[in-house]
Amino acid sequence: MRSVRNFTLACASLMLISSAFGQATSVNDIKAPALRAFSMPQPKRIQLSNGMVIFLQEDHELPLVRGSALIRGGSRDVPAAKAGLLNIYTQAWRTGGTTSKSGDELDQFLESRAARMETGGGVPSTTVSMDVLKNDFDTVFPIWLDVLRNPAFRQDKIDLAKTQANTGISRRNDEAGGIATREATKLGYGASSPYALQAEYATIGSITRDDLVAFHKQFVHPNNIIVSFIGDFDSAKLEKKLKDTFSTWARGPQAPKAPAGVTPAKPGTYFIAKEDVTQANIAFVHPGTTRDNPDYYALQVLNEVFSGGFSGRLMQSLRSQRGLTYGVGGTVGANWDYPGLFRASMATKSGTTLESIDALRGEITKLTTAPVTPAELALAKESILNAFVFTRDTRGKALDQQVQLEFYGFPADYFVKYPAQIEKVTAADVERVAKTYVHPDQLALLVVGNEKDFEKPLSTLGSITPIDITIPEPGGSAQSKAAPAAGNADGLALANKVAEFVGGKAKIDSIQSLRRVGTMKAVTPQGEMEMETNSVMRYPDSQRVVMTTPMGAMTRVISPGAAFMITPMGTQDIPSSQRESIANDLKSELISILKNIGNPKYVFTAGPAEKIGGVDARLLEINADGAIVKWYVDPATGKIVRGISRAGGPMPGDAVTEYVEWKSFDGLTLPVAVTITRNGERAGEMHVTNVELNPTIEPDAFTKPPAK
Amino acid sequence: MRAVRTRLWSVGALLMLMTATAFAQDLASFEKRTSMRKLANGLTVIITERHDAPVFSYATVVNAGSAQEVPGITGLAHMFEHMAFKGSDRVGTSDWPAEQKALQRVEEAYAAYDKATHAETGRDEAKIKELEKAWRDAIAEADKFVVDNEFATIIDRAGGVGMNAFTASDLTAYFFSLPSNRFELWAFLESERFRNPVFRQFYKERDVVFEERRMRIESSPVGRLLEQFLSTAFMAHPYGFGTGIGWPSDLHSFSATDAANFARKYYVPPNMVIAIVGDVSPTEAWPVIEKYFGRLPAAPQPDALRTVEPPQTAERIAILREGSQPIYLEGYHRPAVTHPDNATYDVISILMSTGRTSRLYKSLVRDKKIAAQASGFNGFPGEKYPHLFAFVGVTTPGHSNDEISTAIGEEVEKLKKEDVPADELASVKTRVKAGLIRQLDSNSGLALQLASYQTTFGDWRELFREVERIDKVSAGDIRRVANETFVPSHRTIAKIESTKATAAPKGETK
Repeated sequence: MRSVRNFTLACASLMLISSAFGQATSVNDIKAPALRAFSMPQPKRIQLSNGMVIFLQEDHELPLVRGSALIRGGSRDVPAAKAGLLNIYTQAWRTGGTTSKSGDELDQFLESRAARMETGGGVPSTTVSMDVLKNDFDTVFPIWLDVLRNPAFRQDKIDLAKTQANTGISRRNDEAGGIATREATKLGYGASSPYALQAEYATIGSITRDDLVAFHKQFVHPNNIIVSFIGDFDSAKLEKKLKDTFSTWARGPQAPKAPAGVTPAKPGTYFIAKEDVTQANIAFVHPGTTRDNPDYYALQVLNEVFSGGFSGRLMQSLRSQRGLTYGVGGTVGANWDYPGLFRASMATKSGTTLESIDALRGEITKLTTAPVTPAELALAKESILNAFVFTRDTRGKALDQQVQLEFYGFPADYFVKYPAQIEKVTAADVERVAKTYVHPDQLALLVVGNEKDFEKPLSTLGSITPIDITIPEPGGSAQSKAAPAAGNADGLALANKVAEFVGGKAKIDSIQSLRRVGTMKAVTPQGEMEMETNSVMRYPDSQRVVMTTPMGAMTRVISPGAAFMITPMGTQDIPSSQRESIANDLKSELISILKNIGNPKYVFTAGPAEKIGGVDARLLEINADGAIVKWYVDPATGKIVRGISRAGGPMPGDAVTEYVEWKSFDGLTLPVAVTITRNGERAGEMHVTNVELNPTIEPDAFTKPPAK
Repeated sequence: MRAVRTRLWSVGALLMLMTATAFAQDLASFEKRTSMRKLANGLTVIITERHDAPVFSYATVVNAGSAQEVPGITGLAHMFEHMAFKGSDRVGTSDWPAEQKALQRVEEAYAAYDKATHAETGRDEAKIKELEKAWRDAIAEADKFVVDNEFATIIDRAGGVGMNAFTASDLTAYFFSLPSNRFELWAFLESERFRNPVFRQFYKERDVVFEERRMRIESSPVGRLLEQFLSTAFMAHPYGFGTGIGWPSDLHSFSATDAANFARKYYVPPNMVIAIVGDVSPTEAWPVIEKYFGRLPAAPQPDALRTVEPPQTAERIAILREGSQPIYLEGYHRPAVTHPDNATYDVISILMSTGRTSRLYKSLVRDKKIAAQASGFNGFPGEKYPHLFAFVGVTTPGHSNDEISTAIGEEVEKLKKEDVPADELASVKTRVKAGLIRQLDSNSGLALQLASYQTTFGDWRELFREVERIDKVSAGDIRRVANETFVPSHRTIAKIESTKATAAPKGETK
């Protein structure tokens, strides 16, 4: 009772004091004092001689230590045929345990200490993070290190990750909002862009443990890693520990830069039918820009005017004034090292779909026609500048900023200078960037909804491109169907580089046929067998090969009209099972592939780099109209150093071809010495002694002789 | 104020005794930075100091949610939450006296229109059309005085971030963060929105809320499932009014007058708690708080909810047959969060669901690979009143809800029959303590926690006492509570049975 009375008295006296202040009745009566100056402690940066960069940020408020290794290489570095690899990799990295402890043992050990350790990844990078009570740091740190460097990728956890990934695929068309976001991304970047790759059952199915090990081997090197720690520790001690731990780790190959590969869909209207909804999801999209663009700051002001907070144009017009939508937003996107997307999207009831499309398009167009008013400009700049303190209001955020700047190679004072850059933005700047980066005529419009309930048919907007989002069935033909859709611009560039090396596009196109004469050595179960070879290729689809062996001559012919062998025992047809494999060999022959750059049935996907014979060769996966072949290409010269093809016929395993020597014949550079291995064992070699471009070919060379 | 501070110290000391190590000292130091007051009008305000940067976050929690609704006004608690961004007689208007009259005419016109549309006999379509036009004309007239989104614009301009609100079954919360030099501006706006909220653009906003219903419920398989689950599990208590978003008929009908009546009853100072966390000096802040929040008129605490869900005596099941992939839910009734067994329920939930050592993960996800996700959790759909302990399972391709149901059943039986091993129980308790420390990290998260605990338990320190209670839970408690709770006739099942279920991809482990 007594304390209650005291409390009331205290309140009464305070109210007397407060009456001395004037009570504001309008916002304008309230004057904000200047924000007190403050400096957020910045992390300490340490660079090791092997290229690793370390940031340490002490924070003693809570008895925790959190650490992370940020590693270059992410989903954008995965070949299209292995879409989804990063997901499997980052799951199995942690759950699959290390060479000394299984994942289940790690779970037990860590969770009993309330320690968290996770592996994760995104478009540009992967991470191995830990979060522990400070007293457990010394016991958990070695485990973190073990996970980082010695993952085991146990098969049972790869299978588990695949099950999880397949569940995601099977459910990806259940929620309309998810469909709209995903498909708009594919329209904006292009479905085959490394920034929009979509996993399928087939691509998940094709991922092997070797793929995961190879990805780890390719990227996890000290020169690709930024290590950061924050928490209740002594920096000097931790610095020593980290230096002792990491200094002896040797450098590895540098991760590649962000791949190109933005090939947006054609402008127009795209439609996805979804029947179990009462709302339509609407999205406009086209490519955006990158953060190093000097116009980035003016774009941030533009974005704020367009859809900042509740006061942006989109919220005002489409939600508050017209009641058309709950959620609406739009920005000119800018990523750190690859283009963002311009997006504007909303959801509205089916019966106001066309009205909303019109209204949203109107707001986009208005950005380019109605410049910002002075009031809009002032509000946008004040909002950004006043909220700027929230970008660095914790030690954790200060650390994250420095890690990010380091990762993308931006100056360490980037955020210090940021407010001044916003300050400088004028109405003319905003108008200019709106016209430069917003293109109403280049937009892809995506509508996901139940068209029978729309107020009018979508076709009133003009021609409509339907998008079929049926999930390719598990197994079956999905693999061959899914693969040709993919590819990336880096792949195309690399293929062109090879074409240049071989003689240039004009030269290659001028080749109608090609004769190669030489020798071939094959390792057979009966021993080594040497033969002379004389082959004539007539592009695109006919070949005659004469092999002269000690036992006599053998001729193999394949053409659209015929497929037969002439042996000392007579002429016989080639069985259809083998015909397909020979046809695939023809499709994936060097000149055939180079002639088909630009043919949509030939898909080129650049993958990670690998050191081969002193060359940092880049993987180029080629889907040659269904025939799969891999080249390792020296990106500097365009020279192929190694080729891998799926074995044809009865031979198991992939055939690995090492290109030992190349020679130019009348402007066309061809391999003249190659060795072939299969399953790690020598399988043979080939030498070319003479080449004839566009030779005279007997008229009946590809015709089956009449039976005798 | 002094008395409050003394009590804080004692709680801090208690915590230090309870658990050794640096852990408790940090909680104690946290408590030293926290103070609380109840204003003369009954409003409770909590301040926690954290001076790392010149910013602060706050949360206002109102002890009213969709459980305070009755048939006819379902969805209104959420609707009011939207209206609390529309300003007052001083914010958001170009001419309040004129706007006030115009808004009165809107309500009169709407009442006439609403009455005509709901006429049970003698419905006159022509008359309805006419009344609707009169109503819409009145809205157009009132809209002339609206300064669009002025309330939100002031906050945006001042550098506000994270401005939002949510309506739950038990409570409604409003929150954002501002630079600390805007404290007085915040106190003005936050008190202003509840002092005299003006229901401008109400009927436009009702359309917006209906869009939210379409997005969250009607167009989402999970939303549709939850609505069926809740309305099946509760037959008397308002927790059964779907998900709180409101039934379509009510969303099309309730008026600004209904919203004003709801606010007058529930948005009263004794029914509200505000927590502020950040770079705020209590000596400077209290006078500002008194000055602005003291303006809220005193009013009595609203009556408590009478209806109690009667014991469930028959198992219930709701099956949605549709094209999306299968999902499985089952719920068992349990007592309110204030019940002494609450800590035991928390332990059961963590044991079953948290982390890769949890029982459902190990059984359904890791070993059997029949579920991509499986967990059991408390607080569904709220916790203030007796509610559900619910299990959810998301099937992997080629597996069925029945397999999930069986596997959950096996784990539940184990809880009922076997004592939880000591090391497993110890691991749960360690994680609860660490979880509390990690929760203290963000200003905005903490503000919401403090205000919510003060609202639900009448004391924010329950946030810490919970750890103490969990520490005392024994293997015997778990068996007893599991046997009392997980009884088939107390169960409600809701599931999506897919008409287009996906088979397992080739080579998949079955």
